[in-house]
Amino acid sequence: MKGAKIIVIDDENIVGKMIKATFEKDGYHVETFLSAPPALARLKEEPFDVIITDLKMKGIDGMEVLRTVKKESPDIKVIMITAFASMDAAVEAVRGKVDDFFPKPFKIKDLKVCIERLLGG
Amino acid sequence: MKIVHKIILANLFDILLIALTGLFAYQNLQLLLTKLRYVEIADDLNASFLEIRISEKNFFLYHDATELVNIHNKLRESQNAMQSEREDIIRAIGEPNYRQLELCTQDYLEVINAAGQRGMNQESLQVRIREAGQRLREFADHITKLERANVNRIIAGSRNGLFISLVLILISALGISQLVSQRILKSLKEIEKVAHAISGGTFRKVHAVHPFHEPAWMEQLVSKLPLLRTFFTKKTPDELDSVMKAINSMSEELKQHEEMIIQSKKLASIGILTAGVAHELGNPLNNISMLAQAYTELYDDLGREERIEYMQKVEEETERIRDIVKNLLDFSKPKKPNRAEASINAVIQKSLSLVGNMLQVSNIEIDVHLADNLPHVLIDINQIQEVLINLITNAIQASSAGDELRIRSGLDDTGEHIQIAIQDTGRGIPPEFLPHVFDPFFTTKEAGGTGLGLFVSYGIIQNHQGTIQVQSEMGSGTCFTITLPVCRREETGG
Repeated sequence: MKGAKIIVIDDENIVGKMIKATFEKDGYHVETFLSAPPALARLKEEPFDVIITDLKMKGIDGMEVLRTVKKESPDIKVIMITAFASMDAAVEAVRGKVDDFFPKPFKIKDLKVCIERLLGG
Repeated sequence: MKIVHKIILANLFDILLIALTGLFAYQNLQLLLTKLRYVEIADDLNASFLEIRISEKNFFLYHDATELVNIHNKLRESQNAMQSEREDIIRAIGEPNYRQLELCTQDYLEVINAAGQRGMNQESLQVRIREAGQRLREFADHITKLERANVNRIIAGSRNGLFISLVLILISALGISQLVSQRILKSLKEIEKVAHAISGGTFRKVHAVHPFHEPAWMEQLVSKLPLLRTFFTKKTPDELDSVMKAINSMSEELKQHEEMIIQSKKLASIGILTAGVAHELGNPLNNISMLAQAYTELYDDLGREERIEYMQKVEEETERIRDIVKNLLDFSKPKKPNRAEASINAVIQKSLSLVGNMLQVSNIEIDVHLADNLPHVLIDINQIQEVLINLITNAIQASSAGDELRIRSGLDDTGEHIQIAIQDTGRGIPPEFLPHVFDPFFTTKEAGGTGLGLFVSYGIIQNHQGTIQVQSEMGSGTCFTITLPVCRREETGG
């Protein structure tokens, strides 16, 4: 679904930047944030289709973003990314609740395929 | 030798001593009675002999023949008395003396009889009568005196014997009670010390306390008598030895358990470390990967500047990884500490001067009390300074303006360790976080905490054979206490 709107939240700015650069080439609209609060505020202004969020962040973490987003707008797809290599307790906690999950490092192509699948396009 | 056997042995000795004393006293008493019996007989005999001498004198003065008959009769009486009491007299003065006495009496009797038959005018006969009478009287007197002296000697001997026995019994009773109580008390004291040490976390062993060693003659005696050997072999542990053995095995088991706990904690912290490393490395790795993917995908769209920027970012992220790996290597392979004898107070002052600016900016009150004349510690000054700065920085970061930072140094109760306390009146650490403050990558700081400071500090203090402990209460503050062993003279050769 070309033209879909995506929010990326990750305290590593390269993640957002690279997703933005590669996705916008394919016609997606991508906005990037280094922490959750401004992203959540942005969501209140406009509807978005997909949220890609890091799990471990200072302050509001990925779990909380997931809870807030799903409560307020259950249609938004949430994809979790994390540098935790193994499926540890934190990863287990988000499994089944998130729409998909990518351990870092991941393939941008896989992320694209996933988003297309989630958006039915 | 068991304590109970020692007590039995001592009691047997005392009983034997008392029995011997009793026997000795009884024998003396028997002898005394015999002697007294003789003295009684002798008094009777002497009275008779005195009467005989009086009759003899009368005979010589008045030439009365009836006196001779009197003497004869008295002598016969005395002889009969001696005969009837023969046994008692012999027991008291011995057979030779008795025979001598008998001879004197018989001699006298014969002279008297001769005088009766041949008439009393014969000069030589008179002399013989006098001589025989005198001899009898003197000998009887002599024997009686001798026996009285014997009686006195026996009484004195008994008195001394009883006194010596009493002293010996007292000494042996005191000796054994001293020996047993010393052994028990000293052992109990040793056990008490070990129990204290164990409760303090030091699993040392009890050393057997033997205030007195069994004397050599006792060993010889025991080795010569097979019956005693079954009871008193030196190798048989006594009751206290058994207690100490039990305590030692308990201490050993506790030590093993503690080692197991430490081992499992180590494994757990390796797990935490691994997870931490994975996470720390995961981010830069992902960044490099994404940069490379985007670079490939967007290659044609990217300008020259952008391509260079991408590659520079790859380089930066690689550096990030290199730093993490370098830090980890530093922590996992601690540099050999460069130790020197140092005054801990000087190190504290130096550390404070290094963080002085930070303290001023944060507006935190500082209260430093360092004990005078503290013994030196053998430390790597830079490493200990790193620990102190780390703890002081943490305290400052946990405090707000107007809070107080207290720093104390002093000796612990045993005098073997220097204690340094760094206490703040800041936020405190939540109880659920306390067990993890020394774990690698554990941090409660909002930003910029690596979670390695306390982990590294812990390692440094451990390498110095010291301890680091934390106490904290939410809202009232946190106190870190470091102990470092006092520098011993013999270790430094000074």
